[in-house]
This record gives sequence, C-alpha cells and structure tokens, in this order.
Amino acid sequence: MILAGVYQLWQSAWPVGLIMFVLGIGFAIILLIAREKLKVEVDPRVLQVQRALPGLDCGGCGFAGCAQYAEAVLENPELIGRCAPGGQAVAAEIARILNLQISSSGPQQRPIVRCRAHTEDKTYYAEYQGIESCTAANALPNAQACNFGCLGYGDCTHACSFDALHMVDGLATVDYEKCTGCSACTKACPRDLIEMVPFHYENMMTVACSSKEAGKTTRAVCKVGCIGCGVCTKQSDVFSVEDNLARVDYGRYEPTEQTEAALNKCPTGVIVYRGRSAPQPRQPRQKAATPTKA
Amino acid sequence: MDRFAVLATSFVSIVLINNLVLTKFLGICPYLGVSGRIDMAFGMGLAVTFVVTLSGTLTWLIDHLILMPMNLDVARYVCFILVIAGAVQLVEMYVRKFFPALYKSFGIFLPLITTNCAILGLCLFIHLWGIDNLLDAVVRSFGAGVGFTMAICIMAGIREQLYLVDVPECLRGAPITLVTAGILALAFMGFAGMVR
Repeated sequence: MILAGVYQLWQSAWPVGLIMFVLGIGFAIILLIAREKLKVEVDPRVLQVQRALPGLDCGGCGFAGCAQYAEAVLENPELIGRCAPGGQAVAAEIARILNLQISSSGPQQRPIVRCRAHTEDKTYYAEYQGIESCTAANALPNAQACNFGCLGYGDCTHACSFDALHMVDGLATVDYEKCTGCSACTKACPRDLIEMVPFHYENMMTVACSSKEAGKTTRAVCKVGCIGCGVCTKQSDVFSVEDNLARVDYGRYEPTEQTEAALNKCPTGVIVYRGRSAPQPRQPRQKAATPTKA
Repeated sequence: MDRFAVLATSFVSIVLINNLVLTKFLGICPYLGVSGRIDMAFGMGLAVTFVVTLSGTLTWLIDHLILMPMNLDVARYVCFILVIAGAVQLVEMYVRKFFPALYKSFGIFLPLITTNCAILGLCLFIHLWGIDNLLDAVVRSFGAGVGFTMAICIMAGIREQLYLVDVPECLRGAPITLVTAGILALAFMGFAGMVR
C-alpha cells in the first residue's frame, strides 16, 4: 500500500522536480557568469574586520549592523572599541587588522538601573491594567506612585539581545555575567533609569534611585528611595546631592572606608553595590534621619 | 483594432487603470519604505521595472513553453519565485557594481524586491488574464514597472512636500503616509473600468 503510494507520488512529481532542477541550474550558471563579470573589489580588510566582529547586529556601536560598522571603522579608526559585545578582544583584533596600536581603552561601560524598589517597596494609588509596557504605563500620570522609579513591565528586558536583563519582583535587574554593555536597554527605558557607568572595579557603588522629589514625598511613595538627606556627602566626597538626589562621581570612586561608611549610614539603604559579585543590598533602617532642606 | 492599438491599450491599462500599487495594493512595502526621497524612489522604481520586465517575460515563456504543455500548473508559483529571485540577484550585482551610493541607500530593500508581491502578482495576473501573446506580456510587464515607478515617485514627491507641512502631532510619520497613500489610491479609482 505505502510503497504503491510512494511510487504514485514519484510518478506525478518527478517532472516538476526535473524542471525545477533544470531551471535552477540555468539560473545558477547565469548568476555565476554575472558574478564574474560584475565583480566588486572589496577591501579585504572589510571582510577580515567583519569576521572579527561578533556578528550580532545589536546596534550598540551606533551603526545599523556589524557590516556597516566594519566599513566605518576602516574609514575612521577612531571608532575602534565601539563594539561593546566584542569588548577588548575585538578592539585589539581590529587594531591588528588595521595595523594600529591601541592605547588601552577605558574601563568597560555597564548599565546600572537607578532604582532599587521591588514591588513590596513601591506604593500604588490604583491598579494599572493597561498594556504591559513601560512606555504605555509611563504615559499615565499615576501608573505607580513614584514618578521616577522602575515600572517593571520589562521594556528593557525585551530590548536586551543577550538575556542579561530580568524582572525580579518588579525591578529590572542586570545580570552582569551576561551583559555586554551594548546599551540597548538605556534607550528602551521611558524613564531613563538605566545609565551606562564605567566599571573601574568589578562592583560599583551607586545611588539606586533617580527620584528628584523632595525627601518627604519620596519617602511617602517608596521605602527605599533617596531622600536627599546628604548623610553620604558628609562621609565621602565622591557623593554629591543635587535636586534632592545623591549621586556618585563614578570617575573618582574607589572602594574606601569612607564610601563603605556612607553606604552603611544611608538611612534608606539606597546606596548599593552593582556588579558581578555585588553583595545583597541591606535593608533600610527603621528609624530614619530627618530629611534636610536641600 | 490593429496590433499597435492593442498593445497601447495594454500599456495604459496596466500603468493607470490596473496599477499594481494603487488599485491592487501590491508592493506596499517598498512603496512606503523607500518613498522618503524622490531620487531613491526613482532608483527603486527603475530596479523594480527591470526585475518585473525580465521576470514577467521569462515567466510567460516558462509558463507557455514548459508548464502548460506538460500540465504542471502546480509548479507555477515555485518556478516564478525562482525566476524572480534570480533576476533580483542580477540587479543587486549590477547596482552594487555601478551605483554604490544607490546600493547603500537601498539597504535591505534591494534584496527585498524578491519578496515584492507586485512582481509575483504581475506574473500571476498575466496568467490569470489569459494573455497568450509574448509581446503583450512584455508590454504589460514593462508597464507594471512603469506604473510602480510612477506611483512611488508621486508618493515620494508628496512626502517631500509633507516635511514642510505642519502635520498634527498624532498623525506625524506613518499615519500621514498611510492617509496619503489611501487618498492617492482613491484618486486612481477614477480610472477604474475604462479598459479591462
């Protein structure tokens, strides 16, 4: 039965197959001739650079894809080192192809989410039932009480091509093992929460908040927000408070006793480590320092 | 009607009355994608014209000389796609060699002519309309390309002017483009029914 069916299928199908085969061969020959006649001389270094690049087409370098970046980098060698996923190794390889010496480029840029509020730390005035997207939720004035914090619908996680961003309890959390620093997430966040930071050390200290509200307002809507009290600035001069928000000067940051003290004295525990082996952020203190007027 | 009149009617019919873009809504992807600037639109139109003329002619030949006598209608789509893909490859090589700037500005839209439904649509329409004269098929194929070029150039001209217009914020970008395309298609409906 089955054999007869297969035979019948073969009987009716072979002419089609033959025609397709003949046509295919015909076009292949024409195209082969055309390829020889219309050959374009490409700089062999373009191909070498393309091979050296990761080929992810993530667009982190500012070009449409790896091929465009390869062409641009040949014309303008200053662009070496733009490839974040490739990092140092690719930069060195491109420099070798172009016969250039690269000075050791700066520290790796990695994203830091400037919010540390998980779902239980946040306050909501109402329940948001709209589109599951931060951009959509951000269009509403009160999708969550804090107008600066992470909305938790994961626009940045969708933007990440490397599976390095995940929503953990309503907070975007970077997996620094997987992160390549392509900065796609910084463009995805409607609240500009994600900042590219030069990681001079494996773990960087940061103020994980971006609320510019007065301390009292911030405290009312979030358990772990920065209230701009300025305790950290008294401990170490890498901290500064502006617009009710403490900031770290990442260029001057180094792990010292002073910065450690600032981290421990922060009343809301908003100063945290972020990085590959960052310790768990500590809990906010029960009794908080009185916020001072900025 | 003498022969010339028949061909002229075919040409006018495919360019204006049965315009693939504006009345059949085929090939909308490059029509909206590459119509930002008029020089690029014209280049795209020329590339499509070449591909559609070549593939329309070749598919008519294959259809009438091989497929129809051998009763192999099932293979029509596959064969047509093969022809179109080959023709597009040829155009891509040619443009890359002689017009590198154009090649760059087309980007992905040049290889995407392969999947431009206006071209496959035209090849299938030629079969559907039962055109049994090679010259007529060639004229119609060429006319389809001219029609596409005309449509995309009109669109690009309008869109270039649109940059100077104070469009309401909610309509900027894609919405106003689609509205424009719709009104343009409505305008071309005025030709409907003049000839087959």
